[in-house]
Amino acid sequence: MGAHVRVVICFSLSLFACGGAFAQSQVIGAAPEAANMKLVGYNDLQARSAYQPTIHHQGDRYIAYIGHHGGTDDVPAPVNPLTGKAEPNGTSIVDVTDPAHPVYLRHIPGQEGKYEGGGGQMVRVCDGKALPKGDPSAVYLLRTFGGEAHEIWNVADPANPVLVTRIGGLKDTHKSWWECDTGIAFLVSGAPDWRTRRMTQVYDLSDPAHPVKIRDFGLPGQEPGATGAVPTELHGPISTGPSGNRVYFGYGTNKGGFLQIVDRDKLLNGPKEPTPDNLRYPEISRLAMSAFNGAHTVFPMPGMPIAEFAKDKEGKTRDIVMIVDEAILNECAEPRQMVWLADVTVENRPMMISSYTVPEASGNFCERGGRFGSHSSNESMAPIYYKKMAFIAFFNAGVRALDIRDPYHPKEVGYFIPSITSATDKRCVTIDGKDRCKVAIQTNNVETDERGYIYIVDRANTGLHILELSGEAHAAAVLP
Amino acid sequence: MIAMLMVGGGYARAGEEAEPHWREIAWPYPRDGWPAGRAFRCVEGACGDAEVYVRPKLGFCNCDTGVADDDEVDRVADIDLISPRFAPRELGQVVRVAEMPGRLRSYDLAMPDGGRHVAVGIAVSHRCDLLVAVAQGTDDAPKIERAALEFLDTADMRRWMGSAMEGR
Repeated sequence: MGAHVRVVICFSLSLFACGGAFAQSQVIGAAPEAANMKLVGYNDLQARSAYQPTIHHQGDRYIAYIGHHGGTDDVPAPVNPLTGKAEPNGTSIVDVTDPAHPVYLRHIPGQEGKYEGGGGQMVRVCDGKALPKGDPSAVYLLRTFGGEAHEIWNVADPANPVLVTRIGGLKDTHKSWWECDTGIAFLVSGAPDWRTRRMTQVYDLSDPAHPVKIRDFGLPGQEPGATGAVPTELHGPISTGPSGNRVYFGYGTNKGGFLQIVDRDKLLNGPKEPTPDNLRYPEISRLAMSAFNGAHTVFPMPGMPIAEFAKDKEGKTRDIVMIVDEAILNECAEPRQMVWLADVTVENRPMMISSYTVPEASGNFCERGGRFGSHSSNESMAPIYYKKMAFIAFFNAGVRALDIRDPYHPKEVGYFIPSITSATDKRCVTIDGKDRCKVAIQTNNVETDERGYIYIVDRANTGLHILELSGEAHAAAVLP
Repeated sequence: MIAMLMVGGGYARAGEEAEPHWREIAWPYPRDGWPAGRAFRCVEGACGDAEVYVRPKLGFCNCDTGVADDDEVDRVADIDLISPRFAPRELGQVVRVAEMPGRLRSYDLAMPDGGRHVAVGIAVSHRCDLLVAVAQGTDDAPKIERAALEFLDTADMRRWMGSAMEGR
């Protein structure tokens, strides 16, 4: 049965019930599992474990910049067919102007190391002409270099990137945020003297060739010289820029998480010495999560009109933050990591209003192998999907399309679980001292572009899948 | 039902402290992000009034570097369960527990009741997983440390820790 035929039948029966009919284990050569999402194009990303994709509209082209985790035990540094050399995983640059035929342009090697111990996981991109002091002819790629540095490359010619600058000497890095209109960057770093693996270093990167550090930021107790309990480490921030004047920080990954709402102006211009009082000064509030869950991605959606509240004299619009946990352990060896929506309209009393998870029984996902649970959402604020649709990477359950127009009642309207390939890496659990391994897709991160294409990448080396919505999901997104 | 375990044995001669005996007690802390571990109280001998809490933290460790520095011990060793107000007494040291490498560090604790305790935090790792133990009491730190390490090195505890780390 063809994939499209199966998709139609599945959806007509029941979105959830259908998945349960699929085999527990994925098989090479089998069709992808999907509902209301279909494959447009594919690139294998040289079989490198992938983390953050960022899609940049660059002149008349669309370029995907994809950060990678480190290599694997079996292949620490895959061979780059373009150079013929073994290169530690770093950043893939792929021309996706024609999404049906993506063209791999260049691999920038990253830090040597395996899994989370190497690579260059994070990427953000700003045009030089958007940055206040950037070279107007340049396009700047901000990336991590393993855990030890942040780097900025000029990728105006994406096939021939040029290193511009490097901020090094760190003990870890991760999911940074860069405001292209101001140049302010919130770099997830590990300053050597801080007590936590990850905190924030705020930089002015308006002139990428000359980074200016503004301050270090973290939670009281994490700063140098503190004693006592060390608060949960940072995962990543997202800023709403000068107009929104908020930075939302997600702490924790799969445990003890919380959302921290910070006044951006106070953060940038307040007292900068990392004392407990100074670290508290810009904080507006925190929303504590269960100790069972962490905050990998905190995606702000201020001013969402809520149809149900349209006739209410107050509260017609709500400021919403979507919080996505990260599953860490294989085969459901931890509490479920999932998606939470918080109403932060009243900022000092933020409140969880809804949640979403993939029903495990819809695909017997705990038995498929690898991680099952959420990891990340798209972070593009392009109008085509912003405040309407969200896309969630759910590891062995693929990507999930959520209709979030009513954030009090998010609704899954589509999904896509790619097929595994010969490159898909195994995931193991230890039983009686021995590894027992399975091979399953591990959809790690997702991003969208302003045309509406959805880009998912795989942590288990399967590559990049470019998708589009169809059916009910297409209609829900009000796409042309 | 908490399984009761008495570990230790032997008799002391005059002038010697008796060999320590530990009795298993209920895990004394509220549920947090990690499953409860096992807790033990010294009931006799050279371990004074010490208690030891030990549990695995699967999927918490830097897979490549393990427990690399004292900050890591501060963060993970469950000292904050006993009291969030603690200060290290000295630099930590390398340790091996059940063949797993890691670090050990001692702390002064300000207890919620105003009292002062000493704690010894231990964090060791295998691949991406941690095993943490913390011993606390009112004795001096070297004595608590010695008693805790001897206890963790008993056959019963080594067997349980291996099992708790999923057979690693």
